[in-house]
Amino acid sequence: MNLFEFIGKLTLSVVRTTGGLCIMLWDSLRWGFRPPYRKGLIFEQLDFVGVQSIPIVILTGTFTGMVFAFQSYIGFSEFGAESMTGTVVALAMARELGPVLSSIMVTARAGSAMTAELGTMRVTEQIDALYVLAVEPLQYLVSPRITASVIAMPMLNLIAVFFGILGGYLVSVIALGINSNLFIRGILTYVDMGDIMSGTVKAAVFGLILSLVGCYKGFFTSGGALGVGRATTESVVLSCILILFFDYILTAVMF
Amino acid sequence: MIEFIHTSKSFGKHTVHRDINLVIPKGKIMFIIGPSGTGKSIFIKQMIGLIKPDSGKILVDGEDITAMGEDELLEMRSKFGFLFQNAALFDSMNVFNNVAFPLREHTNLTPAEIKVAVQAKLMQVGLKGVDDKHPSELSGGMRKRVGLARATILEPPFMLYDEPTTGLDPIMTDVVDQLILDTQRSSPGRTSVVISHDIKSTMNSADVIAMIYNGVVVAQGTPAEFQASQDPIVRQFFSGSKEGPIIL
Repeated sequence: MNLFEFIGKLTLSVVRTTGGLCIMLWDSLRWGFRPPYRKGLIFEQLDFVGVQSIPIVILTGTFTGMVFAFQSYIGFSEFGAESMTGTVVALAMARELGPVLSSIMVTARAGSAMTAELGTMRVTEQIDALYVLAVEPLQYLVSPRITASVIAMPMLNLIAVFFGILGGYLVSVIALGINSNLFIRGILTYVDMGDIMSGTVKAAVFGLILSLVGCYKGFFTSGGALGVGRATTESVVLSCILILFFDYILTAVMF
Repeated sequence: MIEFIHTSKSFGKHTVHRDINLVIPKGKIMFIIGPSGTGKSIFIKQMIGLIKPDSGKILVDGEDITAMGEDELLEMRSKFGFLFQNAALFDSMNVFNNVAFPLREHTNLTPAEIKVAVQAKLMQVGLKGVDDKHPSELSGGMRKRVGLARATILEPPFMLYDEPTTGLDPIMTDVVDQLILDTQRSSPGRTSVVISHDIKSTMNSADVIAMIYNGVVVAQGTPAEFQASQDPIVRQFFSGSKEGPIIL
């Protein structure tokens, strides 16, 4: 394959995927706002995407906060600004690390499962079965997953931020000997609601991305078990790329 | 009645159907037969709008489904029951919930009424004590019967069967054939279409047969007419010989 062929194929693939994602988002919104409202399915997905992701998000948040506190302390101690450790950990967790890391963990856990489940349903004709039973699959399968992810991700982000700061606090105060009041006062002085809100908005957008990509890749899977495996890999990779890309866009817009 | 009027369908450069004209009479069982890979399943997927023909019309009780929007198609599909080749049961649900699914989606029955209806339907297809089992715990024949129970629980006026006996042993094939006949007899006005390449099932159960080969309907008639046919394509297919005009 020569360079021009490669660029052409890549461009076509990007255009096709972008168009497909936009169409699925629009159709899912349309079907999501039409009766019958699938509240039971939304709660089921809230449990799967949200509640069941809490342990992994707590773990990720806590360790990220702990490591970040250590690294910040080492840097700040070079010029005697150790007291800023709490502020930096809290700001980083609230604005960036909380939403991005929790979204990537949920992509790996729930986004991949969405693709695998819908992909398997596609190759075993279960999605066709929904059509012939006069049930719209976008309304039954996709809208509840997107709705639940957009609701759950901001909550998971807040949990990640809280436990990140807690992890940073434990390392700073217990292991590094930073004064507890200084740590907390730094956070209260420099971190405001705007920082928390920007992270929350990011998390909601990332929830939309991971569920939309997860459903899209699964819904249009072909090629049996091999196809399901390939779609799942593509789904996780594409979701992570889009999360990082939109993280930059949202940061540029909000700050 | 279902009518195909000058329908054609291609996938890329591969032409599956060429100018098909076919009438499926009301209240009859039509078997559509033909060698593997000749687009038999495309027929029934077109009847419910899962696949659209590139040209031509498909009339279901006089209404052209190729011109329908998504809402009309959803309504039209509720008139159909569809038994998939591999049953296509929802593997996240147990047998009871699979069969109850259409009732929950399209009726206002109470849970108690749904329970009674599902158990009656499972009894009708010869299954009991399997309510709590998941599809992965069932044999191929049991899955087909659960699929049939799910497809017929709303008593649809049209039934479509996609290779219902493929992969089943001879006894289970006979059981499924009998269930198809029983399903037909339970509702005399029902129109059924069976995609098959099982000659024995076809001769036992069909009212009308259409044979498709190379994208066109090459023969159409009653089982007796097919039995007496001198068409070399029909003769080769019925004899199962690899020698003849059918190119593999």
